[in-house]
Amino acid sequence: MERKWSLFSVFNYIFLALVGFSMIYPFIYILAYSLNDGKDSMQGAIYFLPRQFTLDNYAQVFDNARIWKAYQITIMRTVLGTFLHVVLCTLMAYALSKKTLPGRSFFTFYIFLPTIFSAGFIPFFITLQKLHLINSFWVYVLPLLFNFMHIIIIRTFLQGIPEELEESARIDGYGDFQIFLRIILPLSGPVLATISLFIGVAHWNDWFSGAYYVSNKDLIPVQTLLQEMLTEAEALSNSMQRAAQQGGQTVGGVGGAGATPESLRMALLVITVFPILCIYPFLQRYFVKGVMIGSVKG
Amino acid sequence: MIKTRVSNNRLMKRIWQHKLFYLFMLPGIVWFFLFSYVPLYGIQVAFRDYNFVGGFTGSPWAGLKYFQQFFNYYQSGDIIRNTIIISLMKLLIGFPMPIILALLLNEVRMIKFKKTVQTLSYLPYFVSWIVVVTLMQRLLTPYGGPVNDLLGSFGAESIQFLNNPTWFYQMIVGSDIWKNIGWNSIIFMAAIAGIDQQLYEAAKMDGAGRFRQMWHVSLPGIRNVAIILFILAVGSLMSAGYEQLLLLNGPATANLGSVLDVHAINSGIREGRLSYAAAVGLFQSVIALILVVTVNRIARKVSDVSLF
Repeated sequence: MERKWSLFSVFNYIFLALVGFSMIYPFIYILAYSLNDGKDSMQGAIYFLPRQFTLDNYAQVFDNARIWKAYQITIMRTVLGTFLHVVLCTLMAYALSKKTLPGRSFFTFYIFLPTIFSAGFIPFFITLQKLHLINSFWVYVLPLLFNFMHIIIIRTFLQGIPEELEESARIDGYGDFQIFLRIILPLSGPVLATISLFIGVAHWNDWFSGAYYVSNKDLIPVQTLLQEMLTEAEALSNSMQRAAQQGGQTVGGVGGAGATPESLRMALLVITVFPILCIYPFLQRYFVKGVMIGSVKG
Repeated sequence: MIKTRVSNNRLMKRIWQHKLFYLFMLPGIVWFFLFSYVPLYGIQVAFRDYNFVGGFTGSPWAGLKYFQQFFNYYQSGDIIRNTIIISLMKLLIGFPMPIILALLLNEVRMIKFKKTVQTLSYLPYFVSWIVVVTLMQRLLTPYGGPVNDLLGSFGAESIQFLNNPTWFYQMIVGSDIWKNIGWNSIIFMAAIAGIDQQLYEAAKMDGAGRFRQMWHVSLPGIRNVAIILFILAVGSLMSAGYEQLLLLNGPATANLGSVLDVHAINSGIREGRLSYAAAVGLFQSVIALILVVTVNRIARKVSDVSLF
């Protein structure tokens, strides 16, 4: 009886398959587009596979000094920002997980208050100016060093570690710092992986700081570069495409091999998304737990 | 006297015993001071004629000048209305979607299928709005985009989806749902997993089919989580999503897509009118606070569930 396929479950499976497809298809399409000859792509009708396979778009993207520079900035801020964020939030969370700590609830409230009543964007921006962070690499790292939610998630996890472990270590002559380093940290893998993913993705995806806090071209991260290309390339590629479709192969230059602004943009997009695409499925079971803890205790 | 000194000593001793942990917290305490409390103190620029030299406290007072400027601005009514319309649409259409997804996924018995759909559904959450908007442009363009190709193969006219007032709300709400539905469903999946299995057994005994079990057991089981998240969502009613709107606003849709956040960012950073923008931002925060407190109170009255 249980196994019978009701009308509801048939529709359910079909519907969910469509949902899954709609989530992944845009990326499949962009991958195909980026692997296709740029000028050929303008004629449309690419859906799942490239029609004229080429790595030319990627070669050109990697040939561009500005993109390398942007990539370097993105990687630097992501690695440095993630590392510092995880270390500092863990230290703070560990201290706050100590039930015997005098002033514990005060400090918890101290970091909680700004999450319900924040100053808004402009006073924050002025603060960045006053701290001389505008137009500096550190504007990417410092404002993202702490996050209330992340601290609470780590704290909740640490509170789940049995106290007997610490006590027995203390009997073995470990000090507070050794306990943290040798007992607590090695057990915290799952939660540190979750937080690393959260903050790493936030660093990797941030285009806003690059667009509004930085004007030095050498400090622009990849996402902001993509944003600049978004506005520039749209008009250009639409008009080129229109010409290609109306005039077919005869319109100036179309028909010959080559990359277009649009195909370069798609190659850059693929490189931007690729690292995340590789990482997140493996960390899934951790972050699902992380979201649950965060929402229950928040 | 003696007693307090003893307990004082004991407190000092306890604090001293925890010295390492205060050291652990020190960077965080400094950081929250600099990046949260200093800006809070800086809210006063909304009431001052801000200049860089004078700073938060040295600039001359301006009273409510900048609030008046905003309310006298000929577009301020439109901006407030746009903000409310967009976030209400996101709330009313976008809020139930993750619940529906979680309920439907819960009905799937093939574990592999379920896991695959779940994993795929999180994917858009992990890419930036830039990527989402770039994808939309490429997929939806009338010039060789697959969506219009598909429409064309059904004999339909191709459609200019982006920068088009007719399709603006669909694009805003649709892309918001696409990006967040999977991520937001996690918490509901967890809530459903926590429902007592005996309730399902009992419902089955009473002759309930899968759909009725979903309606009468699963849905009430996630009610509390849903209420909390709804209160939080209402709190952000005054911010319609600045990243998305900064990127999706085009010349043709500027009238519809000009919202409080975008207005504050543009007038503040692009035009350098910092005090004016701070006033807009403060107006937004205060309304948001009032909304959260109000909805929280209503929720507590009606359902015994509340955020605080």
